[in-house]
Amino acid sequence: MSPADVASAADALMRLGASTAEAVAKSLDAICPSPVERGDVTVVPGEESPFEGFPFEDGPAVAVSVHYVDGVTGGNVLLMTAPGARAIAAAMGSDAVAAPPPSDAASADDAPAADGPTELELSAVAEAANQMFAAAASATGVVLSQEVEIAPPDTRLLDSAAAACEAFDATPHAVSATFVVCGEPCRLVQLVPNAFVLRMTRALDEQGTEQLSGDGGLSALGIARRTEPGEERALDDALRDIRVRVWAELGRTRVSLGAAPELPPGAVLELDRKADDPVDLYVNGLRFASGRLVLTDEGEWALRLEEVAGRTEPVLAGDGFRPPAVASDPPADAGFRPPAVASDPPADAGFRPPAVASDPPAGDVTTEEEI
Amino acid sequence: MARVLVVDDAAFMRKVLTDALVAGGHEVVGEAGDGDAALDAYKDLQPDLVTLDITMPEKDGLATLRELVDIDPTARVVICSALGQETKVLDAIKAGAKDFVVKPFERERLLGAVEKAVA
Repeated sequence: MSPADVASAADALMRLGASTAEAVAKSLDAICPSPVERGDVTVVPGEESPFEGFPFEDGPAVAVSVHYVDGVTGGNVLLMTAPGARAIAAAMGSDAVAAPPPSDAASADDAPAADGPTELELSAVAEAANQMFAAAASATGVVLSQEVEIAPPDTRLLDSAAAACEAFDATPHAVSATFVVCGEPCRLVQLVPNAFVLRMTRALDEQGTEQLSGDGGLSALGIARRTEPGEERALDDALRDIRVRVWAELGRTRVSLGAAPELPPGAVLELDRKADDPVDLYVNGLRFASGRLVLTDEGEWALRLEEVAGRTEPVLAGDGFRPPAVASDPPADAGFRPPAVASDPPADAGFRPPAVASDPPAGDVTTEEEI
Repeated sequence: MARVLVVDDAAFMRKVLTDALVAGGHEVVGEAGDGDAALDAYKDLQPDLVTLDITMPEKDGLATLRELVDIDPTARVVICSALGQETKVLDAIKAGAKDFVVKPFERERLLGAVEKAVA
């Protein structure tokens, strides 16, 4: 696979993840009494488990999986804590539904589980997932110009990330989106086969690159637009609420796995950029812009954008990206200063990745409107 | 008042539908969780109306509807579907369904569809 193909696949995965996460979040918003907090949408690296890091230690998690049955292959898993599942079930009205009499044949479904949610609550959560993923499949079908059908949901309790990996067939690609629902963590995992990525990539290619202009940069962020006028506006409005990770990258290098742990304090790693080269700005893993590092008067790094993907007109001086906490513009004389890692560190400095080259903590993420 | 057969693979939805129908003065004469069970129940119970989910294991709502209409061309069926299944709903209407409600639905919408279908 060429680097361009890899970029296209990542783009397709991000668009799929963003549109599905949005459909899920909107469905949850309609169900739950409190607003759903949207987290990151990320393409999970191939070597990582998309279920890793979920708080299984607090008790068995509820996983509802819904697979596609027509149009495309692959599937979705909605993972939530037991309290989260009960909260969603309550929001669906499970506690308001009259319990059946014990003699009712259907009541076998409704016996309380040994621990965690009752069968009726699990059924309510499964129905919620069914409604979410039906809407998500519809959004995906718009991108593919083909109807996408889903299978009935399958619900199970899982006590570890390893159990989740065993429960669901591994796929070459996975996309993860996080939410906080009724105060509880919730994760959407999309398990995506190669064939699905190829179809998405082809469909997006066919839609053309004209989306890069005039859509506020959503396409460059890996977020798909619909082509039908009324739906397009509604989807764009909804997508703008998605929180995305933004980081700047100074440069890269490669070292062998064996050499990395042996690096001593004081070692200097040369990166692949010159000191006066622009720095790249990434949004959810996609290169979105480049610019120059500047220092604010508070002594914080900021990035003044010079080039934005898909925009041919010059970027104005005021279009710089700054962490949200920085309120004032950089001083006029604040030019580019090479980051510490690119120069010889003091003898006791040791090697450490520059702060701006790593993923920012959750509190530092910004929305695309702030770019 | 109509005698209704409720068909949905989700126990929760069967109860939501049953409670709403009973509250609206109808009698739920049976429930089924899949298409084959629905066809058997229809033959046994001869209900006035069926509420039918679309996404079900084995035999989905559309296939069930077509067989139901083969059995009884006068069968009254209201489709209950999730948002995003509009094409299936359209196919169901063409196949003989009287109306549809989109989940999640308001009780009044369900009762209105039922009353219109049995009128």
